Amino acid sequence: MNATIATSIFAAFMVLTLALGLLAVRGGGRRKGGLTEWSVGGRSLGTVFIWVLMAGESYTSFSYLGAAGWGYNFGAPVLYVLAYMSCGYALGFVVGPMLWSYARRHGLVGITDLVAHRYGRRWLGTAVAVLATVCLLPYIQLQITGMGVVVTTISYGAISLNWAYFIGFAVTTLFVVVSGLRGSAWVSVLKDILVIATLAFLAVYVPLHYFDGYGPFLDRIVAEKPQWLTFPGHESGGLGQGWFITTSLLNSLTVVIFPTTVAGYLGARNADALRRNAVLLPFYNVLLFVPMLLGMAALFVVPGLTGADSNLALFKLVVDSLPAWLVGVTGVAAALSSIVPMAVFMLVIGTMWGRSVLGAVPRLAHRQKLWSQVVVVVAGALALLLTYTAPNTLVRLSLISYEGMAQLVPMILLGLVWRRLTLYGAVGGLVVGLVVVCGLVFTGHDPVWGVNAGIVALAVNLVVALGVTWLGPRPVDGRPDAEVLASDLDGEEDGPRAEGAGGDGGGAGGNGAAGVSPSPAR
Amino acid sequence: MLKRPTLLWLLVPHVLYLGVLPLVNRVTPTVLGLPFLVFWMLLATLLTPASVWLAWRGDRKRAARRAAGRAGAPAGKRAGEGSAA
Repeated sequence: MNATIATSIFAAFMVLTLALGLLAVRGGGRRKGGLTEWSVGGRSLGTVFIWVLMAGESYTSFSYLGAAGWGYNFGAPVLYVLAYMSCGYALGFVVGPMLWSYARRHGLVGITDLVAHRYGRRWLGTAVAVLATVCLLPYIQLQITGMGVVVTTISYGAISLNWAYFIGFAVTTLFVVVSGLRGSAWVSVLKDILVIATLAFLAVYVPLHYFDGYGPFLDRIVAEKPQWLTFPGHESGGLGQGWFITTSLLNSLTVVIFPTTVAGYLGARNADALRRNAVLLPFYNVLLFVPMLLGMAALFVVPGLTGADSNLALFKLVVDSLPAWLVGVTGVAAALSSIVPMAVFMLVIGTMWGRSVLGAVPRLAHRQKLWSQVVVVVAGALALLLTYTAPNTLVRLSLISYEGMAQLVPMILLGLVWRRLTLYGAVGGLVVGLVVVCGLVFTGHDPVWGVNAGIVALAVNLVVALGVTWLGPRPVDGRPDAEVLASDLDGEEDGPRAEGAGGDGGGAGGNGAAGVSPSPAR
Repeated sequence: MLKRPTLLWLLVPHVLYLGVLPLVNRVTPTVLGLPFLVFWMLLATLLTPASVWLAWRGDRKRAARRAAGRAGAPAGKRAGEGSAA
């Protein structure tokens, strides 16, 4: 009975999700459906949609599963998620408009495109696309796995893991292929409403139900589990203050150039939408406290969870204490928290390949959108296959991805503001940084000396980049600074008062023919 | 960066979450029942939007000043008023 109710609710919402996602393709109106329209929503999203989309893509299945699991196992170290997101959103106030105006001016649709333009080499875009894909694929798998676990739990076992994986893949792939970024934004609306409602409810209900309110709940944690409440947390294996500070710092720099974040930036109608968003987005992080606290609450209600089971700390409480229909709705919110980020990950991978890998081959270059859509299906299918054959536990993977992606920070951020940074410097730093990350992480040295391995790698990366730039060869690039560098630094172009500037958003994307950036597919 | 000093507000979250961590890494005193570290993180989360807003306000003021300057108004006086357009 319970299973039928919860499963029906889940099924109904999946149909609704698919309908929303597919209908979103009409949101573009009579615009021509080129790659810009698909990949970055024709650069036409306003503050509300950007907020919904970026909140939607940052609040992943990890927030429901891993965050609760970390809260349950370690306690305080889980706060790094909160810290880096807040810090990153603040930095986004500067970086977002900068990347947006640069991309718009030169008709770019992603970071691969952007480095190809900045350094004047197509192959660099191709290389970065491959690197980013390697870093992003684990995330897709993570979302698929997360969705599977949640759906199986909330359907009281009626939907098997393997079917749940497949449903997640199928729904997401379908609407991404058809509607692109706009589809993700529309589905995000549904997702954010459900997430906010269910988490707000749980935040009030769970302490009341199990502990007679917040007072007794908090008193009990403070009295019985103080180890969980400060760094380094409970048996966290070296996740102390140094680790927290360096990880949050590194991730806050990385999140602003993370390809999915950038997709959100580039989808904006104007730079001011992004600035407004940077003010409003951090509020969403308050929600992150809920799974963290409930994970700790689970310590008292369902003690003794270990390994992957601890990721279910939150859902054990939900299934234990709520009627079936509410279990279903909460499960849908969590499932959508897999679907929306997964959609953007797939979209970004598709865009990078359609534009910078396949699109860089002259014979294929005139069908960039088609190739992007094909790659979405391939990447999704690959991740699904990996999920079936080589499943893995949640958080470590995503940390490796982040530390790898972090090595792009100098190439992108420093490169856009500092003309002297040479191609060889940027590439040399990136390569050395990646080697250091892999060397440390795969030999079990993360954290190393109590700090995040990625930040050590980033430091080496930066030193190499600067060293090679100063001492190494200097490629000839005759383009003027204005053509190569970001120009939004002084906040004048499309500044806060230029309301509606660039609001046409027709996907024309400035004078994309300029420079060496490949842009034939419009 | 030098032209936009109010952007320094954007570093406030880094200071609150990371910079002062050694001082706030403690269970007591509890505030509203919350262990101190959790309370602090909640406070930082609520202050983050405020700090970004201050950076935004700074930019708007500068833009207003520039516009006033361009319009030929007595820029010094306008700049002193500090109203955000």
